[in-house]
Amino acid sequence: MRMWAQSHLCQKQRMFSLLAAAFALAFLIIGTSQSASAIPAFARKYGLRCSACHESWPMLNFFGQKFKDNGYQLMNDRDAPIWQNPGYWPVTFRIIPIWHRVSTAQVATDQSATGEQKITQSGFDLSGLDFHTGGTLDKNISFYVLPSSDATASFHFETVMARLDNIGGSSWFNIKLGKFELDNLLSEKRILTLTGNGGVYQLYHFIPQGDGNIWGQMGDNQLGLEWLGHSANDRTRVSAALLSSNDGQVGLPYGAESYSGFFTASQAFDFGKLGVSRFGAYAMVGEAPTIWLTSGGVGIPGSGTGNKGFSREGFVGQIYFGEHADVTVVTQHGEDSAWFGQGYGDFVDNPVAGTNFLNGYGVTSLPAGSRNPTWNGVLVEPHYVISPQAIILARWETIRMSQQSTPGTASNLGNISTYTVGARFNPFMTPRAGFAYHAEYNWLHQDGTGVVPGTNINTSELLAGFDFDF
Amino acid sequence: MNSRLLRLTNAAVIVGFLALPALVQAQISEYQEKQWLDTPAATSHIGNLTGNAHAATEPYRRYCTVCHGELGDGNGESAYWFDTPLFFKPRDFTTAVFKCRSTPTGTLPTDEDIYDSIGRGLDRSNMPPWNTFSAQMRADLVAWIKHYSPRWQTEKPGEPIVIPPEPEVTAERIKAGQDVFNRVQCWKCHGVEGRGNGPSASTLQDDQGRPILPYNFAEGGRFKCGTSDADLYKIFMTGLDGTPMPSFSDNIKPEEAWDLVFFLRTLQPFHTKAKELAKGLNLKPINPNAPPPSQ
Amino acid sequence: MKTWYKRPFPVLSALVIAAVVFAMVGEKVKAGGEGTITGTVKLNGTAPHMKGIDMSKDPVCSQQHQSKPATMENIMVGANGGIQNVVLYISDGLSAGAASAVPSEEPSFDQKGCMYTPHVMAVDVNQKFKVVTSDQTTHNIHPLPAAGTGNIGWNKSQPPGAPPIETDWKAQEIAIPVKCNIHPWMHGWHVVVKGPYAVTDENGNFTIKNVPAGSYTVTAWQEEYGTQTAKVTVAGGQAAKADFTFKAK
Repeated sequence: MRMWAQSHLCQKQRMFSLLAAAFALAFLIIGTSQSASAIPAFARKYGLRCSACHESWPMLNFFGQKFKDNGYQLMNDRDAPIWQNPGYWPVTFRIIPIWHRVSTAQVATDQSATGEQKITQSGFDLSGLDFHTGGTLDKNISFYVLPSSDATASFHFETVMARLDNIGGSSWFNIKLGKFELDNLLSEKRILTLTGNGGVYQLYHFIPQGDGNIWGQMGDNQLGLEWLGHSANDRTRVSAALLSSNDGQVGLPYGAESYSGFFTASQAFDFGKLGVSRFGAYAMVGEAPTIWLTSGGVGIPGSGTGNKGFSREGFVGQIYFGEHADVTVVTQHGEDSAWFGQGYGDFVDNPVAGTNFLNGYGVTSLPAGSRNPTWNGVLVEPHYVISPQAIILARWETIRMSQQSTPGTASNLGNISTYTVGARFNPFMTPRAGFAYHAEYNWLHQDGTGVVPGTNINTSELLAGFDFDF
Repeated sequence: MNSRLLRLTNAAVIVGFLALPALVQAQISEYQEKQWLDTPAATSHIGNLTGNAHAATEPYRRYCTVCHGELGDGNGESAYWFDTPLFFKPRDFTTAVFKCRSTPTGTLPTDEDIYDSIGRGLDRSNMPPWNTFSAQMRADLVAWIKHYSPRWQTEKPGEPIVIPPEPEVTAERIKAGQDVFNRVQCWKCHGVEGRGNGPSASTLQDDQGRPILPYNFAEGGRFKCGTSDADLYKIFMTGLDGTPMPSFSDNIKPEEAWDLVFFLRTLQPFHTKAKELAKGLNLKPINPNAPPPSQ
Repeated sequence: MKTWYKRPFPVLSALVIAAVVFAMVGEKVKAGGEGTITGTVKLNGTAPHMKGIDMSKDPVCSQQHQSKPATMENIMVGANGGIQNVVLYISDGLSAGAASAVPSEEPSFDQKGCMYTPHVMAVDVNQKFKVVTSDQTTHNIHPLPAAGTGNIGWNKSQPPGAPPIETDWKAQEIAIPVKCNIHPWMHGWHVVVKGPYAVTDENGNFTIKNVPAGSYTVTAWQEEYGTQTAKVTVAGGQAAKADFTFKAK
């Protein structure tokens, strides 16, 4: 009887999967007549198709990158909004209704004999909601505002910035002020994947086990000031940003004086029939506080001192093999101060003195032998662009600890490996709206962080959905 | 059992999702305009590069179709929304009439001319500078553009006009340039101060009968076909075909042409040597009601 | 499907026969001499009002029309109802030889008083003609042949005193609009035909000269009213008659 029930369950699950596939098939076949998709706010302004700026929406191609680097301007003397229909306002909504199935190993349960078990959930879902509005106020003056909602409709300032571009008529002087995405050559905000673990670059958010440094997440939008310079055709680009070391948290001053810097430089080369490829390097170096004044044992925002250092640096290559195939490679070497490595510094998640930060009068030295945690990571993301409307992609990311903060810790504790495969298909391509049919599978493995000490976590997610942009 | 079945369905769904777009793509109808695609004219030669029209099929769809149209007739889905005279309508490749040429009026441009236009863009139109493209891709697009008109099958591009080396700018040359400006009556459209407000400015139409504005030198934007002195020389000696701007090559001698270039530079709001020299000259503004100077 | 080159004999024999017939016809034309086709093109109905032209934007132009204000010239009707500027040409029946003969005279297309004189100029394919200017103002001459005709448009300036522009048209085209962008009211026509042609005078009269004996279709083209055709037989050395009537709209 039990057997029957189990197999019945199985059949049901299979039916759901097949149903999802059938849905997908139906939509694919219905919407095949034409060609891709974009931030239609800009597509509408210029009458260009998404594919002009996006290799596959939302990932930019080099032309789109140039458009962005020029402050959302095509540089054809018709960029100022004065040339637009007065009714035009650059706004776009992005909604992502999905069905997904998440399977997580090592979830602590009371019912399991071992205290942990694998849980598999599936269902229809929403993957957040974004309101993008951005564009030019006048020639070379632009802005971007992105209030972003999570799945519970609570909003936060994802991006709020003002830009001055081509200052003095030079493409080498462009200034950004506010909360913005770091000048990552491979942009996480333009990632082509949607699953929980595959929808971010692990490399951009990696924190060693037990480490308290949440400020080195280069994938998070940060508050600061950025200078960007680029050649007219955007082949050469350099940027430097001064950031508050607060992980982009608006309204919460952390340290009394704690700043980070983010630097990039890259050069694109024309390889003839292979197309244009870009090679560059980035570095994030910064300081963040570990000591706060307290009141009743609770830290006082903005009082942080005792700055400790951290750094992330690596190379980026965006290599094209003709019209259809390309691969992006990002490497990273990261290092945190031993103070972070021992868990100090995270004022945000747990502002209790003595545990996550020093109260200024307590701890003055680290346990003997504490070292700076260091790690190395690599990300490889190949794309096959079937047409401007369809793309198949894969990603492999791995991060390996090279030095744990506490001597004697398993050398592989916290190591991550993740694989993602996906496909996006845009059944139509107009300058008005975008819509991608999306299918994706992600598998993530992390060493030693399971509920049962010494065991690993394996998580997988299958996702299918619609990525609407209008 | 449970997990194996799950894995199987997982695999099936993944494979299905991944394979379907490919299948669907195959259904999208092949591009129909193949008439001149396999002719020698559907290639281009720019320096050492040879462009092949076939290689431009995907890039044209990706970047160009939306304005210039699948059939190259300038009737892409966005074309309707560009209101002249503030925006130019997209170029109709089927007539092979191009503004920016190094060749005389009425002739086909050279491959380099089209190649340069793609990378430069056309100001005061929706055509941006596509200078992020690889040189090869631009060459391929030139070849593709050429497959749209039968003219490329029967005609050779015109002989590029000869531009003598640019002389040193002098006060005399600027003054002589103003005389040319006055004699050939550039101001009829461009205005006596080059503000694009000449008596005929408001009535101008392009070849399709759509309103069009003359260039306003005082605004200082880039010229339609480049920014250099030689580009300016080319513009009035070849004319911008398809627009009211005629060729003056029959009426302006090459050395006079440089004079005119220097004078036109003084009308722009930039600090240049020409502008500096012009200040010292105290040029009398042109009187539009004066009888025209004799030849 | 078989193609002609796979069947050389029938094709060759057809060619031979064609050549013989051609030679005979040519001989006959020579013997008969060349005739003319004369006639009148009239308007049936009231002559439409031709609007006046405001040339105040260019005083050089308006000064030349002070005594008699300039009007549009689309439909010019004479006292007896004859229509001026109608082009008559032989649209069918001409031998290849007669159609390809190019007259040696070189017509002028003048810009005078900021109007085109003549308003309609007919030329043979490859016949040289001159564009001249009599005005003390700059014109640009901008013929706009249709795409795909074999004629290529151009746009040249002619300042006062500029030398004539000598050129020709490479293909039959009825008709090529000519305009001056600087003076938007200026518009004229180049009618490019094959073989003998004529343009009506102010009374609507015309004579097509040098027509070899034979039966022809003569077409009359008027810029507003379009075309009319008539069948005409020309005997050697004789004047054949063909009259046309356009109905007023």
